Amino acid sequence: MTNPAFRVATGVLAALLAAAPAAAQEVRLRPAGAIYLDARGSGLKAPEGVDSDGRSLLIVADTGNRRLLRYELVSGRLAPTGEIRLPQLPYPTQVRLDPSGQILALDGRSHRIVRVGPNGEFRGLVELDAGDRGEVLVKGFEVDDEGQLYVLDAAGARILVFGSGGGLRRQIAFPAEVGFVSDLAVDSAGMVFAVDSVRRRVLAARTDEETLVPLAGGLAADSAFPTAIVADRLGRLFLADQGGGGILILERSGALLSRQSAMGWKEGYLRHPSGLSAVDGQLFVADRGNNRIQVFSIVD
Amino acid sequence: MTPARLILALAGLLLPAVAFAQNPYRLKPGATGKVCLDCHTELEDQMALPSVHTPVRSGQCSDCHNPHASSHGQLLAADGDSICTDCHAGLIPAGSLSVHQAAIEGGCVACHDPHAAANANVLTTTGSELCFSCHESMAQQLEGQEFQHSPVRQSCTTCHDPHASTASDFLLKKPTGGLCADCHDPARASFAQSHMGYPVGSSRCTSCHDPHGSNTSGILLAEVHEPITRKMCNQCHAPSSASDALALKRTGQALCRGCHSEVVNQALARDRIHWPVADASGCLTCHNPHASTEKGLLVEPTTLLCGECHAAALDQLASAATRHGPVADGDCSACHEPHAADNVFLLATADVATLCGECHDWGAHSSHPLGPEVVDQRNPNLTVDCLSCHRPHGSAHKALAHLDPGGPLCVQCHEQMSR
Repeated sequence: MTNPAFRVATGVLAALLAAAPAAAQEVRLRPAGAIYLDARGSGLKAPEGVDSDGRSLLIVADTGNRRLLRYELVSGRLAPTGEIRLPQLPYPTQVRLDPSGQILALDGRSHRIVRVGPNGEFRGLVELDAGDRGEVLVKGFEVDDEGQLYVLDAAGARILVFGSGGGLRRQIAFPAEVGFVSDLAVDSAGMVFAVDSVRRRVLAARTDEETLVPLAGGLAADSAFPTAIVADRLGRLFLADQGGGGILILERSGALLSRQSAMGWKEGYLRHPSGLSAVDGQLFVADRGNNRIQVFSIVD
Repeated sequence: MTPARLILALAGLLLPAVAFAQNPYRLKPGATGKVCLDCHTELEDQMALPSVHTPVRSGQCSDCHNPHASSHGQLLAADGDSICTDCHAGLIPAGSLSVHQAAIEGGCVACHDPHAAANANVLTTTGSELCFSCHESMAQQLEGQEFQHSPVRQSCTTCHDPHASTASDFLLKKPTGGLCADCHDPARASFAQSHMGYPVGSSRCTSCHDPHGSNTSGILLAEVHEPITRKMCNQCHAPSSASDALALKRTGQALCRGCHSEVVNQALARDRIHWPVADASGCLTCHNPHASTEKGLLVEPTTLLCGECHAAALDQLASAATRHGPVADGDCSACHEPHAADNVFLLATADVATLCGECHDWGAHSSHPLGPEVVDQRNPNLTVDCLSCHRPHGSAHKALAHLDPGGPLCVQCHEQMSR
């Protein structure tokens, strides 16, 4: 997965993150460029999802323009290589690449997950049979290295885990005291994390647990309304604080390592960040309010 | 020394300490309240009242007052709060779910006369009138109401503990179901008949009824869900004869969709849904399915309701120098659609300037370029709209500006003007 060439190098940025706190910056984010345009030179509009395969491909859910966008690594730079528009995907809000290279995208209108081939062809809707009569309404999802699909079911107040073949493997219930769970993440050890935006805390479940449990230490003092979460290869958690404009970096224990970036318009700053992808030492942020994908290098 | 003599000797050593505790000011024998009354003759009339505070009656004025000097008013021996709790400990039990604010703040004398009164428990006034002296809005609310809960006019303490409650919020002596059942016996046929045979004896009565009074028969809350008025509880609940009669027929928005299909279907067809509509609680997150004091059967006033989840947004407003009018008025839905929309933040229109223009004639107050053709100098993918300079809810700066309009706000774009 590691490819040192996969680095977005768009020049030195003038806007450094002056607003980030000076203390507790064991892990920092350094602005490393931004993506503004598609292949025809048109701007992104309110993108909410982003994912990278860590080698050569970046997929963006360009939500406001109702399409997916592909970017590929060409001569050390990410270049736009096409758009995907599907009638089954009128409002893409989240996107993930599975281990086979297939694109999975969440349609924000139907709350269903759509399978899209590498060339943009529609491959069907993901069938989510939870084994009960309850309706599954997808708020978010994640895919692990084995192709298991983790689905955040808002209607059922649970996380459903499906095997790569589609069968239901596991259910993880929300705790009794919960605000609103906006997103989930899975680390390389199979631990499941979720962000409760209202109570501003991270919930977690080990592989043998059936209920999410709050991690120690809430985030109320450091965030306004965190809505997206992702784990990197080192087990660190990155949360997008949509309400406050910033990124929180946590240990997998829930301990806050640092808060990075701040609300703003210039590169390096964020306005209502909505989607995250952490790959190969880089953090891609769907910076919805700034109509761009903001790229950061993760600096230890 | 024998053990008996040893005990006597130790007792002899302790006696002066005991005597000091009983008479800290070393008053001469008989020099108690009588001495005080020699000067404070105004207290003699009070001594004749039916209810006299025990230390006053027994002449122990120095239980509360220092006869020489004090750092507290009225020559009190300590601050008013601790003086009362020295004797009346336990009025606020540990683990209380609700405590009377006056009791917390040491305002015992708001209700009690420290010397004597014409009413039991040295209360300054009797019954509800005492409570209404502070809870004026409650008194005003009750004025003119057609149907009043009779205990409200008699004594609030029928239902409320005046100091604290370990059983319920609102100082209630018991949780609502059990409390109401003390007078309204669920076993009576009339009770069952008026509740369509549903076993609501232990339910939360205030889900439908205003415990103080209302203008609706049965002291129902002002806004009543139509199935309730038509006595059709089984539209949502199992039949009253079922073993689980109070069970809901469906969960989440599916329950409400049966009647409110147009609203729910429209919401689910929009690009963005307000997620409580679709989550496990569904419509009941914001709406009371039985009755409410709020329009639209909202469970509480809009600002409080929205603030239940969007607390940080309201926290920012608390310290804001300027607030957007609709926010200050608690009218979040002036800009946001409560159920669903096709725009971010569930805004009613896609174009911010159009939305703002419904109230603000921005073209008249500003000559700043604005619109889809004007690129924001800070970001090539943004064009200038109202939110480029203004915050939508509140701000520490004038005119709801993001930054100080006299400095950093303008030079964000107009860098050449920076000093």
